[in-house]
Amino acid sequence: MDPMELTALAIFIGVYAFIMSEKIHRTVAAMFGASIILLLKVVPWEKVPEYLDLDTILLLAGMMVVVNIARESGLFEYIAIKTAKLSKGSPMRVLLLFSVVTAFISAFLDNVTTVLLLTPMLLYITKKMDIDPVPFLLSEIFASNIGGTATLIGDPPNIMIGSAAGLSFNEFLLNMGPIALVDLFATVAIIYLAYRAEMKVHEDVESMAMTIMSLDERDAIKDPVLFKKSIAVLIGVVMGFFFHDKLGVEPAVIALTGASVLLLWGGTSPEHALEKVEWATLFFFGGLFIIVGSLVETGVISQVSRWMVNHIHGEGEAILIISWFSAISSSVVDNIPFTATMIPLIKAMAGYLNTYPLWWALSLGACLGGNGTAIGASANVVVIGIAYREGIRITFSDFLKVGMTIMIVTVAIGTAIIWFRYVGL
Amino acid sequence: MGWLHDIILRKFNSIAGTRYEEIIKAYENFFLTEEEMVIPEIESLLLAFDRFSCELPENVYEVLLSFRDARVTAVYVIDEAVFRIIRETLGEAEAEEFKKKELAFAEKFLETVEEKLRTLNINWERRIIFGDKSEYVMDALENHDLLILSRHYGFETTKTHSISPVVFRIVQNVKKPVIVY
Repeated sequence: MDPMELTALAIFIGVYAFIMSEKIHRTVAAMFGASIILLLKVVPWEKVPEYLDLDTILLLAGMMVVVNIARESGLFEYIAIKTAKLSKGSPMRVLLLFSVVTAFISAFLDNVTTVLLLTPMLLYITKKMDIDPVPFLLSEIFASNIGGTATLIGDPPNIMIGSAAGLSFNEFLLNMGPIALVDLFATVAIIYLAYRAEMKVHEDVESMAMTIMSLDERDAIKDPVLFKKSIAVLIGVVMGFFFHDKLGVEPAVIALTGASVLLLWGGTSPEHALEKVEWATLFFFGGLFIIVGSLVETGVISQVSRWMVNHIHGEGEAILIISWFSAISSSVVDNIPFTATMIPLIKAMAGYLNTYPLWWALSLGACLGGNGTAIGASANVVVIGIAYREGIRITFSDFLKVGMTIMIVTVAIGTAIIWFRYVGL
Repeated sequence: MGWLHDIILRKFNSIAGTRYEEIIKAYENFFLTEEEMVIPEIESLLLAFDRFSCELPENVYEVLLSFRDARVTAVYVIDEAVFRIIRETLGEAEAEEFKKKELAFAEKFLETVEEKLRTLNINWERRIIFGDKSEYVMDALENHDLLILSRHYGFETTKTHSISPVVFRIVQNVKKPVIVY
């Protein structure tokens, strides 16, 4: 190994270690690592645009603006109240409806925003129903991660995969959508079977249902005009994603157009809207792309991929290895740096294998692996953190027992579907 | 496993930041508090009227129908201070004339309410009293569970003040639920 390779590898491992330890913020770790790489010229400055995936960064930024403006209108609280009312105080309905709604919203918006907005409502109605909120919170976490798997914009790993492999929104929906659907209902069934004893309402059912029905979703609408405009733009953006390949534009362009239309039409102050963009996340991506770029630039990635190709015998084996390796890794490591590392590896395999099914295997593992442990995905951490603040303890080992089961079942279902689709019996 | 929990909480703070507080604040506007959750038992209702009160709207009659077994007391309050000022400044005869006119107006007002309550089959008792409009209502409410009164009660409302100051004072001082129409 030459010094440049060693430097790139050392920085990569060091940044990974800092991200895992959470001793310093992941953005700071990634930016610091990227700075050293650029200072030492491991990646020459003129090559930075090549490694910086602007598709991913701008798509995320565009969606953040759209979601933040829509949030200001009260749209998501409206959905949460509507869902609570539809459940009519039945635990089974609460479980099913909140899981389906969470998965659906997560398929189009970021998982953290989705769970941040739905969890308070879930806690409120389970409190009123006087039942244990834990199964409902766990189901919400799993549904969020599963829903995010379904589309190109559902989870950052999918955005990165879509951008790197040139996959369209519809390709994602057709390949990952059915997997997410089957996985979602399998998850709800497992949660129900595991916690059915805790799902019995002790309170006076009628008065409890009345309390929930007394919530008025219209109270959530802070700005009725912006509310309608947000819905119109969100529908427009989703429609745009459906047709982006036919229109010949990148998904990032659709998201940025949606953001600018909503800014123009909604009359929201751009300073206010842009100040809510998660700049830390965007800089984290930027830093990460440069760090992984250094591994590509120095040839580390091509060496690893050659080694992998020499040891993998065919697509079927590659699908199994990538999906399970990604799932297990993503259950302990942030799936964003993991996906960023795997993308150039799979790209490098293109000369030896048909990589098309491998992208789905990576998406499956990276997104669903997050369900494995309490620190596997941001949605897990957010829901557990909210629960903790409200006096509900979900320990790491409590989560692990259910999470691992869900992860194994959902990844097995997904791998089987990809296998039958691209390898056959 | 405590260090794992610390990692989760550290991660939560860096991911959610202040967003969770903002969301909770927004939810607090329409989540019912524990106090609001308890449905009050209404056994007696106090309907307070005066010269400025407007007629009871249909939705208030609907509220009355939902407490069919409750005791309903309709009170028309004539401002004793006004009566006293007239007697002291214009004389006894003028004061008596004022009293007669006020009583006639009160009777007519209560008859309209009575007619509607009769058609709805609601039992009620009525009273016409002279007294301080806010003091009387606040004292009388001690023996009732719910107060219903017009936003014009005690004072003409203005463009800048949609609720009369008398109603405002009552609402601020009583601990029982109040419906202002």
